Amino acid sequence: MGLKDYMNNIVEAVVTTAKGMRITARYGVDPKEEVTLQYPEERWEIPERYRGFLHNDIKKCTACTMCVKVCPVDCISLESVRGADKKMVLAFYDINIGRCMYCGLCVEACPVKSLKHTSGYEKASEVRGELILHFIEEDAAEIKARVARQVAEAAAKAAEAAKAAEAAKPAPLPSEAAKAAVVDPKPAKAEAAKGETKE
Amino acid sequence: MESLAISLVKAVPVLGAAPLWAVTLLLMVASAVVILVFALTFEGVGSLVLRKVAGDIQARIGPNRVGPNGILQFLADGVKLVLKEDIIPANADRFLFKLAPYFVFVGSFAAFVVVPFGVGLTAADLNIGIYYVMAVTSLVVVGILLAGWASNNKWALLGGMRAAAQIVSYEVPVGMALIPAVLIAGSLSLQDIVRSQGGGLGIFGWNLFHNPFTFFSFFLYFTAAQAETNQTPFDLPEAESELVSGYNVEYSGIRFGLFFLAEFGDMFIVAALATACFLGGWQIPFFNAAALPPVWGNLLSLGVFLTKAFLMVLVMMWVRWTLPRLRVDQLMRMAWKYLVPLTFVNLLGVSLWLLVFKGKGIPGMIASLFG
Amino acid sequence: MTIRPNALPTQEMTINMGPQHPSTHGVLRVILTTDGEVVTRAVPDIGYLHRGLEKIGERVTYAQFMPFTDRLDYLASMNCNCAWAWAVEKLAKIEVPERAEFLRVIVCELNRISSHLIAFGSYTADMGAFTPFLYGIREREKINDLFEMLCGARLTYNYARVGGVSGDAPPGFLEKTVEFLDYFAPKIEEYNELISYNKIFVHRLANVATVTAAEAVAYGLTGPSLRGSGVPFDLRKDEPYSVYPKFDFKVCVGTGERGTLGDCFDRYMVRINEMRESIRIIRQAVARIPDGPVLAKVPRVFKPPVGEVYFRSECPRGETGIYLVSDGTTNPFRLKIRTGSFVTMNIFEKVTRGLMIADIVAVIGSFDIILPEIDR
Repeated sequence: MGLKDYMNNIVEAVVTTAKGMRITARYGVDPKEEVTLQYPEERWEIPERYRGFLHNDIKKCTACTMCVKVCPVDCISLESVRGADKKMVLAFYDINIGRCMYCGLCVEACPVKSLKHTSGYEKASEVRGELILHFIEEDAAEIKARVARQVAEAAAKAAEAAKAAEAAKPAPLPSEAAKAAVVDPKPAKAEAAKGETKE
Repeated sequence: MESLAISLVKAVPVLGAAPLWAVTLLLMVASAVVILVFALTFEGVGSLVLRKVAGDIQARIGPNRVGPNGILQFLADGVKLVLKEDIIPANADRFLFKLAPYFVFVGSFAAFVVVPFGVGLTAADLNIGIYYVMAVTSLVVVGILLAGWASNNKWALLGGMRAAAQIVSYEVPVGMALIPAVLIAGSLSLQDIVRSQGGGLGIFGWNLFHNPFTFFSFFLYFTAAQAETNQTPFDLPEAESELVSGYNVEYSGIRFGLFFLAEFGDMFIVAALATACFLGGWQIPFFNAAALPPVWGNLLSLGVFLTKAFLMVLVMMWVRWTLPRLRVDQLMRMAWKYLVPLTFVNLLGVSLWLLVFKGKGIPGMIASLFG
Repeated sequence: MTIRPNALPTQEMTINMGPQHPSTHGVLRVILTTDGEVVTRAVPDIGYLHRGLEKIGERVTYAQFMPFTDRLDYLASMNCNCAWAWAVEKLAKIEVPERAEFLRVIVCELNRISSHLIAFGSYTADMGAFTPFLYGIREREKINDLFEMLCGARLTYNYARVGGVSGDAPPGFLEKTVEFLDYFAPKIEEYNELISYNKIFVHRLANVATVTAAEAVAYGLTGPSLRGSGVPFDLRKDEPYSVYPKFDFKVCVGTGERGTLGDCFDRYMVRINEMRESIRIIRQAVARIPDGPVLAKVPRVFKPPVGEVYFRSECPRGETGIYLVSDGTTNPFRLKIRTGSFVTMNIFEKVTRGLMIADIVAVIGSFDIILPEIDR
């Protein structure tokens, strides 16, 4: 290495160091360059689409189980029973936000838009059980018992009404009774098939 | 120290009952305690300032939770270190492991006694001042090598080896870069070197402006001394991202605290020597500090000295947060192929200059021109 | 470094650069055999982050696998999302609306910038200059804010869908993107002045771990590692997909400007220059984005035809290839993901022979590997 290269090395080292130090000095001296957000006193403004904790509006939820099926990590669990008015009634609806990966697929899949992301992100806890959100406060067994009672009552009322209607109707002619017996089998099969798909 | 003891006995006659050597010893211990308190405070505050400066340069805030603006952070760190579990690795050499931090701390702290804080403020104005500092700071190598070996850890060993090579190599340019100041003052004592930079020329009395060779000597000294103290860009022995803290990887608690404090102590020594030898030490510009009444003279000169030293420490931190670190072979190359020849040339240049111009510097010659 | 014969007998050290290490960019274990400071052999040991993503893929549906591709390379999450979407669309021959493709290109290039910022920042931090890392993170936070506005997440975006993207750009997104580009473009010059051409940094990187063009192709390197050796191969130009043919940009190639062609410095500069090219692409995309829908009609129960497809896209760390075999059901039959970082580990042992321990860190950083990609 000749003398020229030697001196060039020294000069280049000094010049590049000085340039770098000028930049860091500017940052060191300029108070506007602090970008720290002092959490928890200052908080970031959460944008609208933020995928925070999930919240299900139970009044709108129809228990269609789309969210359960589409979740990649199986963190939503629900159970529902068919009520007296033929609509599903939720017995329990739990979301395990410890397992949830906040991907948003369930929110996209919900057809009635009852399941939504909130802007919550602070729920650190020391007990894992606290991370399971229960959206139905009532005990599941009680709900099921109540719905079963309602269904039984409705069925009893319907049976009584049917019996009353039967009693009030005049006796059919023998030819009409024979025609009804022939037509009968198909509706019965259709009823059986519908009953299976409802499971 | 003996003269001080004699004057103290005169002032406080009750001490006359004790033999003179006892009073001298008492004074020595007292001054050592004062210096220790100063050193520890500086080292603690220095660590906080380092982190705050780092925050400023890196577009963020440093520590600011403990105490107003984070002032008490170093106390919290100190308490934390003291309360930590003292872990000694299973197969480590226990005696050497425990001994190493003391070598490093003593090597750094013992140099504080010759630092010229003010007009009459030196713990011991040794007439071999600079020589003593060079010798005592070399103890640090022993400590680091011991730490690296005794930790029974290959990474620590590598760090220790690198540190030994580095510190020993950079002793040469450090020494040679300080000699111009010695030549100009004609004495190894630090107080004499500072006094030689007085003389009514104000700021231009500093050795920095004496002649072009001492100007370069200052920067060479600063660079080489930054390597002595294991600061980035020369912090290979404790490279956080490669060796995961190198030689002090197995240390915890206050043992690690001693290493940590010694690093800042070394920084102060480097800054103090640079100030004393090149930047005029405690000389107040256009004042004759020795002529002022003792209390004022001491206080003002102490203030001036500390300001200059702290500014130098800030510059070291500034460089630390800007530059990446050198690799081992590049570090050795820089020491032996660049710094040693350059300091040698500087030394020759200063000697020739003093010979030709009979010890006068450029400002002195200009001043004599104008009468 | 020569070792004299008949000198003192020395012993080689075996050091473990363990899974927990500040500079291995993840849980990579390297077993070093060194003669003092000089490495004679460096064997990488991977697998500490294996999560069985490919097996998970056989268990979930095509739409459900999208969040898992986020975790494949979490620093370039959008790129992996879009790669999966493109692969499935190629298999099922789905036509994606043009606005969705433009949005995909915008977010992929923005994610390329943020991934290269991390590569740049962590590399300089490994070299000892801690400051540029924080500057890079500050810029990356702004990109994260843009993505948060767009899809609601800051790291695992899950933005692409089979057939398009999950949501249109909210009002103000495109303007804010251009604002960010105007803010960011001069920062690259600042980084170059601060650290890229710093003599110490150049000396750490130049002439270290040189990979010739022939070697790079033989070992299967892709992405910036390949282009750093002088091979001008970029999938966006050579096998264009999506709407990349509509954009005008340069392929950044290493030039050997501070050492030999194909050393660490070239690979580093390729990434810096690629950030500039990404800025150009995004500007063109924002200017020309058409209106329209952002999601094609894909049946809810999606069953692609039987067949197999291999789709490769240019991710910041190389080529991410997805080999997808479908048997006509809702779940993939087999999916195999080929990532750039995994194949780069091939050349690791060869290139680190004779280097110093400090250079191992430089090599890992210059190849810009990331462990989730290697281990999946």
